[in-house]
Amino acid sequence: MNMQRKSGSTTKHIGHSHRRLNAKRHLAGRGQFVSDKTLPRMLHAAFVRSPMARGRILDIDISDALKAPGVMRVFTAAELNRICEPWSGTLDHFAGMKSTPQNILSEGDILWAGQPVVMVLAHSRAEAEDACELVFIDIEDEEPVIDGAAAMLPGAKLAAPGLTDNICFQTVLETPGVDAVFAGAAHIFEESFIFGRHTAVTLEPRAILADFDSASGQLTVHHGTQTPYQFQDLYARHFNLREGQVRVIAPDVGGSFGMKLHLYHEEMGAVAASILTGRPVRFLADRLESFVSDIHARDHQVQARMAVSAEGEILAMQVDDLAPVGAVSAYPRTSAAEGNQVIRLMGAPYQMADYRGRLSVVFQNKVQTSQYRAVGHPIACGVTERLCDMAAEALGVDPFDFRARNLIRDDAYPQTSATGYQFEKLSHEACLQQLRQMMNYDGLRAEQAELRKKGIHRGIGIAPFVEITNPGATFYGVGGARISAQDGAIVKLTPAGDVQCLISVTEQGQGTETIIAQVVAEQLALQPSAVKVVTGDTDTTPSGGATWACRGAGIGGETALRAARKLRDQILSIAGKILQADAATLMLSDGAVVDAATGTHRLDLAEIGRIATYRPDTLPAGTDISLTVAHHFAPQGYPFDFTNGIQASLVEVDVETGFVKLLKHWVVEDCGTIINPLLVDEQIRGGVVQGLGPAFFEECLYDDTGQLTNGSLADYLVPMACEMPDIEIGHVETPTLDTILGAKGVGEAGTAAAGAAAMNAVNDALRPFNASVSQTPMTPARILAVLGH
Amino acid sequence: MELDGTYTLDASPQQVWDALFDRDVLEKSIPGCTELLQISPTTFSAVVKLKIGPVSAKFKGDVELSDIVPLKSCTLAGKGNGGIAGFAKGSARITLEETPEGTTLTYTAEAAIGGKIAALGSRLVKAASRKLADEFFSKFSAVLAEISAENHIETPSESVA
Repeated sequence: MNMQRKSGSTTKHIGHSHRRLNAKRHLAGRGQFVSDKTLPRMLHAAFVRSPMARGRILDIDISDALKAPGVMRVFTAAELNRICEPWSGTLDHFAGMKSTPQNILSEGDILWAGQPVVMVLAHSRAEAEDACELVFIDIEDEEPVIDGAAAMLPGAKLAAPGLTDNICFQTVLETPGVDAVFAGAAHIFEESFIFGRHTAVTLEPRAILADFDSASGQLTVHHGTQTPYQFQDLYARHFNLREGQVRVIAPDVGGSFGMKLHLYHEEMGAVAASILTGRPVRFLADRLESFVSDIHARDHQVQARMAVSAEGEILAMQVDDLAPVGAVSAYPRTSAAEGNQVIRLMGAPYQMADYRGRLSVVFQNKVQTSQYRAVGHPIACGVTERLCDMAAEALGVDPFDFRARNLIRDDAYPQTSATGYQFEKLSHEACLQQLRQMMNYDGLRAEQAELRKKGIHRGIGIAPFVEITNPGATFYGVGGARISAQDGAIVKLTPAGDVQCLISVTEQGQGTETIIAQVVAEQLALQPSAVKVVTGDTDTTPSGGATWACRGAGIGGETALRAARKLRDQILSIAGKILQADAATLMLSDGAVVDAATGTHRLDLAEIGRIATYRPDTLPAGTDISLTVAHHFAPQGYPFDFTNGIQASLVEVDVETGFVKLLKHWVVEDCGTIINPLLVDEQIRGGVVQGLGPAFFEECLYDDTGQLTNGSLADYLVPMACEMPDIEIGHVETPTLDTILGAKGVGEAGTAAAGAAAMNAVNDALRPFNASVSQTPMTPARILAVLGH
Repeated sequence: MELDGTYTLDASPQQVWDALFDRDVLEKSIPGCTELLQISPTTFSAVVKLKIGPVSAKFKGDVELSDIVPLKSCTLAGKGNGGIAGFAKGSARITLEETPEGTTLTYTAEAAIGGKIAALGSRLVKAASRKLADEFFSKFSAVLAEISAENHIETPSESVA
């Protein structure tokens, strides 16, 4: 009766391309987004926001709004904020950091244009919006704090109440010898940079549907977030509920990019309103609301110097980063983490012994900035690589040769950077070499020289980078934040022999569920399609960190691997009991238990599920019949698993119009063990586009009164497919030895260095004109300005 | 945002000056004005319906005339609240000069906008503001012409009397 089984060779899945399991469902229009979710008796929220950037509320009149059609409730701070504990975006390990406590609606002080002041609940969003027009808020406007440098001057107006100055956080990181090195250096290269402020622009905006059941005391929050467990903790603590009373469900999420892990006033408002009304309350941000309330990213002014020896060795860097972050620090991860990473990632790929980085995080009356894909990386990489190119040019050295001379040698690990980062093993030299061949560097240089004669100005730029992935507790846990450093998985064999994995890492379209299925399938010798992966529900999956800082594959994958191996061992143990065989002589293959030595089929998984579930009486007394196992994993070796890579950009600059055509982009990347080459490449491509966007197009523009002036996709430019170059990708694989799986993160690699490579390429094209640009986005107007037009 | 403009009006400085302080003339001249109340000889409160780019709004605001040099110049300052559409505020210095054609009116204005209008319409605001200013002065000049036509009719009858 036994069918012939194939050998285990078909069950190798790690390292193979598999299409995203959820892609078909999305293609068929069966996605389940919070934006589409409705519940009976649901109310819709809209907010009246301050049109001014700074001021005091003198009077609020909601009487007309209350009478508007469809309106159920109109809340001001007095009613709504009282059930919510205020929050402050500081962490203990950022010594001296401060931020004014926040609550849902403004209690009098206006801190940015767009701050929510009144919340309207109605039967439809349209009715809620109509009623918002009837709310009258009298605000006495005050002069806002806009410019970061001016905010730091003594006597500057204060961006928020309770402050004595506008400094959120300052720190200095230095080696003892840095001044002496600069004093004795043969060459010093210096540049000032401005990295523009931009935002995430997710396809699905922020969405929440809060449902408080006053009968059971249960709060269920359907929330388009990347960190459901973090929000379970936050909602419990800030609304004085037990953690067990709070369930957060994150179904399909239409993009997050770091933007959807911060606490927002509107989401807290939806939860508070549901608790107060006992009805489900939905808030779905429209695009303008997203522009004035989603966190913004970057916004750094950097002064940087690099000391280089006569032989072309990078000796030291000195960097001052000024980061204006809005009127308050974001919660719970703060608005200082990006600046902190900017000053720590400077010069990271290079053998550089000395360093000084100064960071000033300052308050101003704009939307808060905080963590967004590749936190700090594009700034550190942009500054370092521009200075490298300036040094190479001045010394008459080819940019590739300058990097080759200075990159950390592939055989020199472990290494600690001048800023204190510990590198287990990186592969800069191998990546540099592979890139040079892949892009046909010498051929491109020859072509560039030929075209220059014809007045066509092409530029080539390269940018090695280091990326922080797989963070342990060092990021937030040590600072007192209740943000999980571990992830957890439950893997079970169902009575019919199917496998499910419930895991704390989450899916935002990047394919997490697919790679988890691959990892589990490989341990259990199944096809990935036979593994059902469940994510994003705090009531059904174990607690964990979920999606941030590139941890899904490295930490989530390892968690799944170890959990699946536990289940494998348990299956074999039960099989041993059934077969009266030593479990060590058995193994799994193609959905069955086989003899390890001969591969002979012994027992289907379905049979084990059947016996353990329906006929445990046939097993010896005391047999552990558990076919559900749980495992939690936290990285314990290096504080982070750093990855590395190098990118290159080829551009053509029209020196008459300032327009830049992106001709080609290359990435060679080392993320350790590659679980799914297709999805890794997609992550890199998407990341590159999110790096090129702010390098050329994306910028949140403010006027001098603190008004965002381009709050629509007509005025805020996102990169479109037709502007993007082909992106060619190569890999080097250096697995981390801290885990069995060996995978590191890859989600931010593309974003980390795309802008840096592009800026070097543009400046390479501008070289004949003795002009250079050091501000992003590199708009046509800015390029024409440096060309003297 | 700064705006300026010059208009030649077919009326004497005295007629222009009087019209600038005349509630009825202003109500007919202000684009989208649905309500104008004179609170004192130099202050008005107004309700104005406007559409700038994608944003339509009803602004409630106050207008005040100050720094008055009779027949020569004055400052017109206003602040309007458009609810969730945002706010607008600004001031204009208006100067009059007698010319052979009548009167030349010059204004230099500074305006600030905020909220939804700033975020969604900033590209259009300057052009829209200029259009509104032009609309105001063309209506203003038409109303002035009406008044002087009436005066012309009245003048002969006076001479008869």
